[in-house]
Amino acid sequence: MTVALEIDGLAKVYGTLRAVNDFSLRVERGTIFGLLGPNGAGKTTLIRMLTTLIRPSAGSARIEGHSVLTSARTVRSLIGVVPQENNLDRYLTCRENLVLHARMYGMAPTEYNRRIDELLELIGLTGRQHDFPDTFSGGMQRRLVVARALVHTPRVLFLDEPTTGLDPQSRRAVWDYVQSLTPQMTIFLTTHYMDEADALCDRIVIMDHGRALVDGTAAELKERLAHAHMYELEFRSDGERYEKILRELPFVRNLQRTGNSFRLALEGEEFLKPLMDRIGGDDIRKICLKEPSLEDVFIELTGREVRE
Amino acid sequence: MFRGAIAIFWRDLLVLRRSLFSELLAVIAYPLTLYLAFGIGLRGYIADVDGVPYALFIAPGLISMTAVSAAFNDSAWSVWFHRRVQRTIEEYRVTPITVYDIVIGKIFSGFAQGTLKGLAVAFVIFILTPFRFPPAHLLAYLFFIFLGSMVFSCVGTICGTMIDKPENIGRVEAVVIVPLIFMSGIFFPLSSYPKAAFAAISILPTTAIFEGARQALLNGKLAPLSIIILLVTAVIAFAAATLTFNRKMSE
Repeated sequence: MTVALEIDGLAKVYGTLRAVNDFSLRVERGTIFGLLGPNGAGKTTLIRMLTTLIRPSAGSARIEGHSVLTSARTVRSLIGVVPQENNLDRYLTCRENLVLHARMYGMAPTEYNRRIDELLELIGLTGRQHDFPDTFSGGMQRRLVVARALVHTPRVLFLDEPTTGLDPQSRRAVWDYVQSLTPQMTIFLTTHYMDEADALCDRIVIMDHGRALVDGTAAELKERLAHAHMYELEFRSDGERYEKILRELPFVRNLQRTGNSFRLALEGEEFLKPLMDRIGGDDIRKICLKEPSLEDVFIELTGREVRE
Repeated sequence: MFRGAIAIFWRDLLVLRRSLFSELLAVIAYPLTLYLAFGIGLRGYIADVDGVPYALFIAPGLISMTAVSAAFNDSAWSVWFHRRVQRTIEEYRVTPITVYDIVIGKIFSGFAQGTLKGLAVAFVIFILTPFRFPPAHLLAYLFFIFLGSMVFSCVGTICGTMIDKPENIGRVEAVVIVPLIFMSGIFFPLSSYPKAAFAAISILPTTAIFEGARQALLNGKLAPLSIIILLVTAVIAFAAATLTFNRKMSE
């Protein structure tokens, strides 16, 4: 495989906290790579090291063969970055935001004007190019931030939670747009939307506590839980009482409750009978075996507790 | 080389152009009020200072004060705003430009704003008052404005880089910048100070700016000591601004 991004033993330490811990990875050129993890897993720290914003405490990383440590400027000329926040310049118009970015890359006006026209057309903002970003919806601002990262036609595009806070239509628009960029571009995406990773990524790594936990395609990751026997259970009433009962059962894992409905994993098929014996059949409205989702894999690996 | 600095400078001038009229109107009001209050109000009590009519004595200082204050304010607030509010500094830093580009771009913006606003005040004072100076002295005067704006722009950049809470920028201005400006002989001659204080006040960079600028504008003199103090201060301030910004960005 032709490698766009190589990471070897990358680490970032803040005092006693190891934000990223001995992280290694290879990403194939022209693919969409997804990095998943709960808040505080180390995703953004990893992106900040790869985009040369912070120096790693240990290890190395190369983008298109250039070290982020010794060739930071070359790396920056090859990458585009879409940060978590819409850090647009609110005192510049939509077009001026793109022009400023192009000037920072030393592009000539004839070159950048043509490219900006193309991008504005692509993101549907040609008619609003002379308006200020403050007058845009969240989705329009997000599209503009993505377009800004593409003005200089980067070879690797980093997207840090690109659709956070967007409505479903805007999310779909960003997805379509991101997909249209491959295979000319390699895309490195972080997200905690499982459906987003499932829909977009050719390959996914789930990380937590600064380390990679699993690596594979969405299908491969789900296959890991195929043995896990995911069930959906719905009761007519008494959801609270049944939650208490289910939590006490040692062979029930990953219990999730919505009203009187539950999703749970059994440690093995043989535990179905003990489960039914314990809860009885009187109140059950529905019980069915469920295909594991990427979210199930995520919860299985990273736990249910809410992170700060 | 410096394409990042030029891009940032272009951006700041573009933004300034949009609000030029309101900016100039706001910046003219304060020094003009001071000029009218002191220059005209005290005219009957202070005839002249070292043979120079009082209104004429304070005019160069007020123009210089406008320039350096504008340079400080623009740099401090601009760096702070781009770093803490818009977070555009982060966008700049993922492009191939250097930290030096960002600092130089911001310092030149501060300097340009300072010079422009100083000139606007000079123009208004020239139109509305009998203040006159030999046009040949203008170049020497602008040299002091240039260096002074540069120094204050660097100091503003340091404040905008180090200070996270906006109210603290105002406090630095009230406790450090304003006293430094007012102590440096804008409204009264340095000879009014006691001997012990005079020596210390004479080597202040603000004294070098205001006294040097006044001598340049009124007498056409380039005071060598003032130039040396300002050049040394400008170099130190620039190095400190770059270092501070670089360190902050690597945190």
